[in-house]
Amino acid sequence: MQGNGIKVFLTVAFLILAGYYLYPSVQSFIINKKLNSLEGDALEEYRQKNYAKIQRVNERALKLGLDLQGGMHVTIEVGVDALIRELATDTDQMFDEVLAAARQQATTGDASIIDAFVAEFERRDPNARLSRYFRNDQDNITRRSSNSEIANWLQREADEAVDRAIEIIRQRVDRYGVTEPSIQKQGTRRVVVELPGVDDAERVRRLLRGTARLEFRLMADPDALSASLQQIIQYFEREAADTTAATDDDEAIASADSTAEAEADSSTDVGSILGEDEQTASTNPLLNVMQPVGQGVQFGIVAVQDTARLNDLLADPQVRALLPTGITLMYTSSPIATTEDGRELLALLGVRENVEMTGDVITDSQVDFDEMNRPRVTMTMNAEGARDWARITGANINRPIAIVLDDVVYSYPNVITRIVGGRSEITGLESREEAQDIVTILKSGALPAPVEIVGEQMVGPSLGASSIRDGLNSVLIGLLIVTLFMIFYYRTGGVVADIALMLNIIFIIGILAAFGATLTLPGIAGIVLTIGMAVDANVLIFERIREEQAAGRTLKAAIDAGYSKAFSSIFDANVTTFFVGVILYSFGVGPIQGFAVTLMAGIIASMFSALVITRLIFDYMVGERRMNVQFG
Amino acid sequence: MRIFENANYDFIGARKKAYILSGTLILISLISFVVRGVELGIDFRGGMEFVVEANQELPVAPVRSALSDVLGEEPEVKTFGENALLIRTSDEGEINTVQAQIMETLTAEYPDANPTLQKTDIVGPRFAEDLKRGALYSVLGSLLVIFVYVLIRFEWRFGATAVAALFHDVVVTLGVFSLLQGIMPFSLQIDQTIIAAFLTIVGYSINDTVVVFDRIREYSNLYKTMPFPTMVNKAINSTLSRTIITSATTLFVIVVLFIFGGEVLRGFAFAVGFGIIAGTYSTIFVASPLMLELRQRSAKAAV
Repeated sequence: MQGNGIKVFLTVAFLILAGYYLYPSVQSFIINKKLNSLEGDALEEYRQKNYAKIQRVNERALKLGLDLQGGMHVTIEVGVDALIRELATDTDQMFDEVLAAARQQATTGDASIIDAFVAEFERRDPNARLSRYFRNDQDNITRRSSNSEIANWLQREADEAVDRAIEIIRQRVDRYGVTEPSIQKQGTRRVVVELPGVDDAERVRRLLRGTARLEFRLMADPDALSASLQQIIQYFEREAADTTAATDDDEAIASADSTAEAEADSSTDVGSILGEDEQTASTNPLLNVMQPVGQGVQFGIVAVQDTARLNDLLADPQVRALLPTGITLMYTSSPIATTEDGRELLALLGVRENVEMTGDVITDSQVDFDEMNRPRVTMTMNAEGARDWARITGANINRPIAIVLDDVVYSYPNVITRIVGGRSEITGLESREEAQDIVTILKSGALPAPVEIVGEQMVGPSLGASSIRDGLNSVLIGLLIVTLFMIFYYRTGGVVADIALMLNIIFIIGILAAFGATLTLPGIAGIVLTIGMAVDANVLIFERIREEQAAGRTLKAAIDAGYSKAFSSIFDANVTTFFVGVILYSFGVGPIQGFAVTLMAGIIASMFSALVITRLIFDYMVGERRMNVQFG
Repeated sequence: MRIFENANYDFIGARKKAYILSGTLILISLISFVVRGVELGIDFRGGMEFVVEANQELPVAPVRSALSDVLGEEPEVKTFGENALLIRTSDEGEINTVQAQIMETLTAEYPDANPTLQKTDIVGPRFAEDLKRGALYSVLGSLLVIFVYVLIRFEWRFGATAVAALFHDVVVTLGVFSLLQGIMPFSLQIDQTIIAAFLTIVGYSINDTVVVFDRIREYSNLYKTMPFPTMVNKAINSTLSRTIITSATTLFVIVVLFIFGGEVLRGFAFAVGFGIIAGTYSTIFVASPLMLELRQRSAKAAV
């Protein structure tokens, strides 16, 4: 065993290190088991008593990826293009075109929209001066500012907006109450938000994206709205008749026999335009998805799942032209009714495009409940807001005012009296959570630019748990098969290789814990794969030893030769695979990085255990104990 | 137990047959690639994917037609493990609206099934571009790095043929994905996990090839008078046992992953499993013979 001192030292040192880093994970496992077995008061008491310990252990334990513990991973992009538009004090058609082109060009997360924007301008017109769009006394942008000055200024503004967006998102996430959320900037304008244990995707999206644009608007004149509803219905009626007639013509050409039938069809159509009978619903595309109302400020009623189709129909410019001037249509935030078969119905309301007052004037907001115990958000305004609010309410007694948050109407109460003192409220909320989220968004402030969710992965807790189970089973079964095979094929050598393999797995997990890496499902796949591939080094060595023995060497000499001759193969083969891991890590995202990390950890650990640990064991068996080691 | 001890197969002699086989496989793969294409997963194509779990089995076809009505386009609907459906749509509508439309429709159609959302995967079109680029870079990058490393450690012929063998493995595996898509009972869409699988194949195959090359290098110092083809053949034969054993242990764990690893890892396990078979074959029948060809060609040129 002379000369093996350093090897023994390294092995022991690594084992102690692995144990040190894995201990919190083992503790965490035991604590969680205990927590799961307790209920009610006992659970609370245990949690109180061990609070500090649980915190400490969880912090240092091996972290599970969101795909295993369940949770949401959201990638948000800050709309720099919208910011550019907002910063512009004057725009024209050229500006819009260039901005759209820049957005197209800067497809990747790192590319700068601002650079693309400036470059596109200069490409179209080398003498273009951006200053004509961005003149701004406050920020010292004058007519004489050069394009590069403006580009720098835009960049500064954009960076600031992204940083502020991160700050606001962090506040919202904190108020939502997630344990150990992670919010990180990625590239120049993306933010990655990780929320463990969260599975209410809809609510989180609303919370993250909510621009909290609170508006108070007047509503459509009932008579005008009702008249235009009739016109729009008739417009679709004509459209439907036209398409039916067109198809009928085709059919008539195809087969003369169907002519009579086609005539019969079109006569029903004419009939339905004249008399509003039951038939209408089936032929008019609008009435297929929307039930018309035309009373008060309600335009129609639509089932939640039909809103997308209704939006498509109403997006037609000709339809928009039929709406009363200065009126737009908006949905209610919560369903006004539910049908017998469980479909939730929203009302579509006529709202003025003109905004009377915005949420800027809100100084404080909180959740409380009305007399019917329904949740609501009460808001307090500043002096200026209170003055405006008194004026607006005073001028519109007995008329409804819409309270609009992010383009959805929360409530549209009739004004009964002039409101002084600057108080208002948002009602029509579905739950206490919703009220809480609105307060959160209002309090954290408006986002500096609109944000868009460009990627999202959510895994529910039960799917995560079943992934852990599947992963663990795979590790255990894979390990069992490989270890049995090694013993069967290499006898004593196989047993030694199996010991190395077990230590190898401990090292891998230890390395992951030490570097604070996260264990993901692909990461577990990486461990399983490593179990199969890690024995390769020992296979190489054992095959060499067999060859040397066949060539007539003694056991000890054969082992020596086997290790030294196999070394260069093992080294070359592992270095190349390691590089692949590095590359996978640098270009991959999320769970794939987890795979790359386990792959790399596996390579380092398996080289150490296959070259150093097995060698130690053989030296001990052959050198000290003079055992006759079998290599199959 | 020993297999392939003192193996002495004439691999080099059979190389013409191997070229024909590999050539045919690559041709079929490329044709299938052009004709059938590969199905890109949500990572690279963009779109929304929802896994909805219920307490009873939901029928695929009726769900698909019910959702087509609501979404205005036909979504992809597949079973996902037990009692769960995977619904994929390229709808570019607002996420919450699409999700609400799907969930409300399912709840309305199957009120007793209590459908719950278990998984979402949403990739915006521009994010998909980023991921696609990342995937391409990682595949090309690893091939380049491997080429350079083998170049430094061995010589250019080794590097070039090693990379050629890797191309062979990746193309043939992609070909299998293209040919079998829609036929297998699990997803064969190319997504990030499959790219990770390809890189694993690349890593495995290069590992395999390097071991043989290493032996060839060792033998060229040892048997200076032996004709090069004989030496290459001897190197392949003496490493054959190791090549097969390592393939076997790796295939064992891959089969385990395929069976027990769950729905998410099935495509990954399939790709790696197939790639390992291809990689083992290419080490023996593609990389070494091709290297020999290159060597002989330059030897002739020198004369």
